[in-house]
Amino acid sequence: MTIPVDIAAASVDNLIANQKGLIAIGAGLAVGLAGLGSGLAEKDIGSAAVGAFTEKEELFGKGLIMTVIPETIVIFGFVIAIMMII
Amino acid sequence: MLKPKQMSRVLFVGHKDYLEPTIEVMHDMHVVHIEEYNEEDYFSIGKPLAGADQDSKTLLKLRSIANFLGIKKTYLEPTSAEKVSSELVGKLDELDSAVSEKLKRKSEIESNIKDTETNIQEIKVFSGVPLNFDLCRGYETLHVFAGTIKKDAEIEANLNRVTTDYQLYVGATGTIVLFVPAKHTDEVAELLNDALFNEVTIPAMSGVPDELLGELKTRRDMFVNDLESLSSEIDSMKAQYEEFILTSEELLSIETQKKEAPLFFATSEHAFIVDGWVPDDEFETLESRVKEATGDRVHVTLHEESTDGVAADDADIPIEYDNPKIVKPFEAVMNLYARPKYHEIDPTTFVFIAFPLFYGMILGDIGYALILLGIALYGRSKLHGEGWNSLFTVLIYCNISTLFFGILYAEFLGFPLAGLHGHPGLIPGWETIELFSGLGGEHITYPIHRTHLVTTLLVATLLIGVIHINTGFILGFRNVLTKHGMKAAILEKGGWMVLQLGIFLLLFGMMDIVPGMLPGAAVFVVAVIMLIAGEGGTAIIEIPSILSNILSYSRLLAVGLSSIGIASAVNIMAGMMWSSGGVFIIVAVLIFILGHTINTALSVIAPGLHALRLQYVEFFTKFYDGGGRIYDPFGYNRTYTEE
Repeated sequence: MTIPVDIAAASVDNLIANQKGLIAIGAGLAVGLAGLGSGLAEKDIGSAAVGAFTEKEELFGKGLIMTVIPETIVIFGFVIAIMMII
Repeated sequence: MLKPKQMSRVLFVGHKDYLEPTIEVMHDMHVVHIEEYNEEDYFSIGKPLAGADQDSKTLLKLRSIANFLGIKKTYLEPTSAEKVSSELVGKLDELDSAVSEKLKRKSEIESNIKDTETNIQEIKVFSGVPLNFDLCRGYETLHVFAGTIKKDAEIEANLNRVTTDYQLYVGATGTIVLFVPAKHTDEVAELLNDALFNEVTIPAMSGVPDELLGELKTRRDMFVNDLESLSSEIDSMKAQYEEFILTSEELLSIETQKKEAPLFFATSEHAFIVDGWVPDDEFETLESRVKEATGDRVHVTLHEESTDGVAADDADIPIEYDNPKIVKPFEAVMNLYARPKYHEIDPTTFVFIAFPLFYGMILGDIGYALILLGIALYGRSKLHGEGWNSLFTVLIYCNISTLFFGILYAEFLGFPLAGLHGHPGLIPGWETIELFSGLGGEHITYPIHRTHLVTTLLVATLLIGVIHINTGFILGFRNVLTKHGMKAAILEKGGWMVLQLGIFLLLFGMMDIVPGMLPGAAVFVVAVIMLIAGEGGTAIIEIPSILSNILSYSRLLAVGLSSIGIASAVNIMAGMMWSSGGVFIIVAVLIFILGHTINTALSVIAPGLHALRLQYVEFFTKFYDGGGRIYDPFGYNRTYTEE
């Protein structure tokens, strides 16, 4: 919902109350960039893990663990996004 | 339940005359994990029983036949082993001669096809040349050039300058055949060279190229037809002999396995020793059956660890899970990671509880639960084999849990079933009831609307994380206790628990629930000292990991929200199309079906992997080493035959 605001006439409180769009962008960036970071980290680990467990199948579990470790980064992004929105 | 099956080391000692009945009993009981004897000391490795050579040769022949016929393992009703073994020799000879005849014919036809293809390739170059190949060779006064030249090369004009005594034929593909008097050979060769002449050998056949080509193509088609009819013959043979091959292969494998067993035993001139592991509860039956079969002439004894002087190493003892039937399917999840070691707690039961619980919490949708339950039940009835069975059973457990959480959340394919704040739900008249207030001004309701209860659920997931991780530490405490004693257990595992207490006290201090930060800080410092004493200086680097581990459980909410997001995006898109009316109704239905199909597939992968990860990374790292040896008892799992 956008409410037209006359910026010149608005008080500071009023302006802050209308910053919801910026907060949403911030939250989006927090999740999106963190996700990008996770992805960049996981791509190398993932390909190495696939290589490893084609050679030795028992390594699947260990490979999966190594691959998902950077995933925590995006979870941090998610937590921050939630904190921003609330 | 929490421990692998208890094993004992067992020794069989007896005279070689009683080797065969001993092997017979061991194979039949299928409980002894034999330790291979490496030749050292006084004893030598045993020799295979009589007939092993013959059997393995027959087996090899049978397998090569099965390979030729393309026989794969399928599900068959088992037949009597006795019947198979009585027919084996006669039927195998019959099969062998039939197959070798077919094999010979097949390779003959294949080589014919190959030859014809080569000929066709050779002649194709000359297509359009109206000359019999016989006319292209055998001259004394003439030289024949045959080959390809550059496109648009005006050789005729150039040729006329050298001699007018020539004959030139140009084929459909631009190949030339040129006859010139032998005396002009060099000049013409030079001239052709300028036109990028590339010589092609004239095929050693007689006939005009185009006619020959037609003939050869008919021949090739004939051979291809032959091959097709041969492969349909092979197929019918396959159908006819499939059962025989599968059953006799199994029978011969068993025979060979038994006869070659002495290769793992230690033998002297007259005696043999078998060394192995047997589950405690099977030992008595094994002992009495061996004694019965050999007339008490083979000595069966437990290998006492205490008399041996050295306690058996963990890594040496083969591991067999000992779980109730309901928990069994989750052993597959364990095997993906690693089998437990002998003195470790077997965490399968914990995975059995936590994995479906987490999966259900993440997905929590009645619609997807019903779809996936249907798929899993259908799949389990159609696909056989242990791997498939475990997979589908795990999926069934997970989706029962999803159904439960689906009812708690009242979600159906992303639609809320109950109305909230004036927005009607899918079921008319069902309104959300407010129960009590949650965190951050939110209200806990029934049904729970996850999108409206983010803060409360976030804290709830983190608490689940704390509980799960500390369960891991308690199990770890027990593992370290049995291995390294009480002091190490308190320092290594207890330290982490105290650390969490410190963090909580600090948090409460910040929120003014406890007075000041001092108590929290004190506990924190004590915990760090304990950890450094227990695990060394590297523990300091590890300290933040406890926070990231706990925060990691917020995925129980996050992944679920993203799944709702996808589902409601699909619903909104379909709804918009639907309200446009006309042809768009079909588009709406397509979007709805396609979108939810994709989300169903994602609903297996995303919650599955995340629930799995919480087990492997957050839970197992607190206590679990794994890496036990697989218990592989001597014997055979019959599928096609029965005694």
